[in-house]
Amino acid sequence: MQKPPERMPLKNYRVLDLSRIWAGPYCTKLFADMGAEIIKMESLSVYDSHRGPVTPAQGIAAYPDGEPGEEPWNRNGWFNCLHMSKYGVTLELTEARGRRVFEHLVSISDVLIENFRQGSLERLGYTYEEFRKHRPDLIYVSMPAFGNTGPWKGYLGYGIGQEQLSGMAHMTGYRGEGPMKSGINHGDPITGSHAAGVLMAALRHRRRTGKGMYIDVSQQESSVALMGPEVLAYQMTGEEPERRGNRSGWYAPANSYPCTGEDRWVTIAATDEEQWRQLTQAIGAAGLGADPRFATAEKRSENHDDLDKIISEWTSGQEAYQVTHKLQKAGVPAGPVLRGPDLLQDAHYNDRGTFVTVDHPQVGPKQYPGMPWRMSATPGQVRWPSPTLGQHNRDVYGELLGLTGPEIDQLEETEIIGTKPTGSRII
Amino acid sequence: MPGLLEGVKVLDLTHYIAGPYCTKLLSGLGADVIKIERLGEGDGVRWLGPYSSGSEIPSGGNAPEDGAWFLYLNTAKQSVALDLKSTEGRRVALELAAKADILVENFAPGGMDGLGLSYRELQLANPALVVTSISNFGQTGPYRDWKASELNLYALGGLMNITGEPEQEPLKEGMPLAQLGAGQNAFAATMAALMYAEETGEGQQIDLAIAEYATNILENALMQFSYSGQEYSRVGNRGYGRAAWGIYPCQDGHVGIIAGPDHRWPEVAKIMGREELSDPRFASRAGRLEHADEVDAYMLPYLIDNNKVDIFKAGQESGLGFSFVSTMQDILEMEQLLFREYFVELDHPVAGKLIYPGAPIMPENGVNAWVFRRAPLLGEHTCQALTSWLDYSDAQVSDLVQQGVLAQHEGV
Repeated sequence: MQKPPERMPLKNYRVLDLSRIWAGPYCTKLFADMGAEIIKMESLSVYDSHRGPVTPAQGIAAYPDGEPGEEPWNRNGWFNCLHMSKYGVTLELTEARGRRVFEHLVSISDVLIENFRQGSLERLGYTYEEFRKHRPDLIYVSMPAFGNTGPWKGYLGYGIGQEQLSGMAHMTGYRGEGPMKSGINHGDPITGSHAAGVLMAALRHRRRTGKGMYIDVSQQESSVALMGPEVLAYQMTGEEPERRGNRSGWYAPANSYPCTGEDRWVTIAATDEEQWRQLTQAIGAAGLGADPRFATAEKRSENHDDLDKIISEWTSGQEAYQVTHKLQKAGVPAGPVLRGPDLLQDAHYNDRGTFVTVDHPQVGPKQYPGMPWRMSATPGQVRWPSPTLGQHNRDVYGELLGLTGPEIDQLEETEIIGTKPTGSRII
Repeated sequence: MPGLLEGVKVLDLTHYIAGPYCTKLLSGLGADVIKIERLGEGDGVRWLGPYSSGSEIPSGGNAPEDGAWFLYLNTAKQSVALDLKSTEGRRVALELAAKADILVENFAPGGMDGLGLSYRELQLANPALVVTSISNFGQTGPYRDWKASELNLYALGGLMNITGEPEQEPLKEGMPLAQLGAGQNAFAATMAALMYAEETGEGQQIDLAIAEYATNILENALMQFSYSGQEYSRVGNRGYGRAAWGIYPCQDGHVGIIAGPDHRWPEVAKIMGREELSDPRFASRAGRLEHADEVDAYMLPYLIDNNKVDIFKAGQESGLGFSFVSTMQDILEMEQLLFREYFVELDHPVAGKLIYPGAPIMPENGVNAWVFRRAPLLGEHTCQALTSWLDYSDAQVSDLVQQGVLAQHEGV
C-alpha cells in the first residue's frame, strides 16, 4: 500500500466502503480526493454494478473504443471515473471465513459506509450494535433510498427516482409540457455530497468526544432538502411551481438560442436592466432598446416569445462561442451549451486542469474529472486509477490485517476473495 | 448538545444561492454563523419572491423579510448589517475574521480584494482561517470574470446538453441545482479544510467553481466520450440506452417506471396486466430497447388507468424501483417523510409559521446533530454578534450605528 500523502485533510482516516453505484461512491470519492484511505469492498458474486455485466455486448460506448475486452468489469468508464485513489478488495460476507476477515477490517476502520437496499446487512447479522462490538467508536453510515425506518424503508430507489420523488422532475420541463428527467441520476451526487460533509462533522465530533455514531441517510430526504425554497413558496402561494423551460421566473430574457451547426446552442440571460441594455446594443437591432414591449423585466417576460424570435435571428448565423465572447465582453451572462468534446477542449477547463489524464492498466491513458475543487495548502491530486476487481486484496489483507501468504491463498482458492467474478448478477 | 459543530465560528459573506446553501448546512449543524448583509438592501436573495405577504415586493424600499428563498437558505444564521465598503466596516470585518474558524464568500473573483479582504490580508489576520471562495468559474482561468446565471452555468458545465428531448432545445433543470450542488460541495470542502486547520493550525483558501462542480457529476456523459469518442445525446424521458425506464403519464400525474434488472421484467408484465409484455422479444434490456415504442404502448393502458401512488407501490411491492413525480403538495403529505418526522415547523415574525424540510441527513437521535431556527431579520443580531465575538460595548456599537457602518434591526 502507498504511504499516505503528507499534507491532506483526511489522511488519518480509514473508510471501509461497501457502497456501490453512485450515491455512496461519490461520498467516498470526495473522501479519497481529500486523502482518506478508502477500502472499497465488493464481492465476486455481486460486484459494483457500475462495472457493467460480466459478458456485455460489443460496441457499448462505456468501454474503451466500445471494446469490452477480456475483463470488461475492469474497463468500464462509469466505474473507473468514481473510484480513483481508492483501494479495491473483494470478500464474500456469506462465508464464515469471509466474515472473520470483514470483522477484522471493521475493527481497524474509522467509518463503514454502505448503500445497500435497506436491511441487507442486517440479514447478514450486521447491525450498528454488532459493528460496535468490533469497533466501539465506529461511525456507520447506512444510506438506503428511503432511510432505515418508516413504511417505505424497504423500497428501492435510484437517482432517477429521487429526482421525481423530491419534486425536482416536477419543476423540470418545457413550457406547457410534462415533467422531464435530468440527463444524470441527479439524486445520487446530491446525497453523496451531503453525506461527505456530515460524515466529516461526525469524524470531528468523534475526535473531540471519542464517540462514534450511526448515521441513517435517506437519499430521498437529502434530495428534498434542495427543494426547500419551493416547498415554502407553495405554502405561501398555494400554487405548484411552473415548468418554465429555460426561462426564469425572476428576469427576462433567459433562454437557449440556436447557433451555427447541428444541435448547437447558446444560453443568454439578462438578469438586470444594465445587462438588458448591453444585450440590445450587442444585437444592434434598430429600436430594440426603446421597444415598449421590452421596457421592463415584467414586459420582457410577457413578450418573451417575441423577444426570443429577435434574439434567435441574431444568434442563428453565429457560432455559440462567438456569441458568448461578444456578450461576455459587454457584461451579459452567456454561455455555449457544451458537449463532451467541447468540455475536454475548452480553454477555461484546460487552464484550470479540470480534467486530468489517468493511465489505467487495462484501459490506457484517458481523461477523467479531476479534483472537485482547489485547495491552496493541500492541493491533492488523483493518486492512482480506479482499482481492478480485487486489485488490492494482497495489500489490504496482507499488509493491513497481517494475514500470511498461505492464508490469503486459501481465501482465494475457496473464492472468498479473488479477482475474477464468480457470478453474473447485476443489481 | 446543540449541533455537531457547536462552537465553530463562521463569518458568512455569501449572498444569493450557492454560498448561503453552504453556510446553511454549517449553521444547521450548530456552527455560530454571522451573516454579513448590506445595510438597507440585505442579501439580494431577499428580493426574490414569492413572499408570504403576497406576490409584490413590499413598498417602502426596505429589504423584504419573508421571501421563500431567503427564509429557507438562511435558517439558524445571525444577521449583521455592516457596510463592508467603509473603512470602519472593513476593520470590523477583519476583527471578525480574526475570531472566525471559517469564512465563506461568493463574491465575483476579485470582489474580496476590492474590499481590502484578500486572502493574503485574511491570512495575516488569522493564519488558521479556512476561506471558502465559491464563484461561477473559479478564481483563475480565462472565464474567471464572466457573468453567469444558473442557465449559463448549466450550459457550460455540460449538464444541459444531456437534458431534454433530442429534437428540442437542451434544457436546464427547474431548480438551480448547479448552484445548490456547488454549495453542498463547498460545505464538504470547508469541513475537510477545517479538520486540517484544527490539526495543523494551518488555514487555507478553497477555490470552488460552480461550472466545474457540474463537470464533476456528468457521469457517463463525459466518460463515454473520453473512452470511445461517442457523444452522449439527449434522450428525453427515456433512460440512456434503455426502454421502459423513465417518466410516463398516469391517471393523476406522472410515474417513474424502472424495468430492471432483466430477471425482474416478468414482474412488470404482471403489474401491467398484459400478456404481450411477456413476449421473449422484450425479455432482455437490448430487446426492450429495440422495441421501445411497442413496449410503451403495452404499458400505457395500465398506467393511464391507475394513480401514481398505487403504481409506485405496485412496483415497489414487487421489488421494482418505481417512483412518481411528486408535486410540492405530495411532498408535504408523503407518509414516509411524515413517519420519519422529516419536516420542522418554524415560526417567523413576518412570515409566520411554515413547514420546512429538515435535516438532509439525520444522525441517530442521541447526538442532536442539527439545530432548527428561523432565518434572521436584516441586522437582527448586529449588537449581539459584535458583543459576543468582539466584546464591543453597547457604546461602541451605537457609535458605529451612528456613523452608518452598522445597523441594528429595531424589531417587528
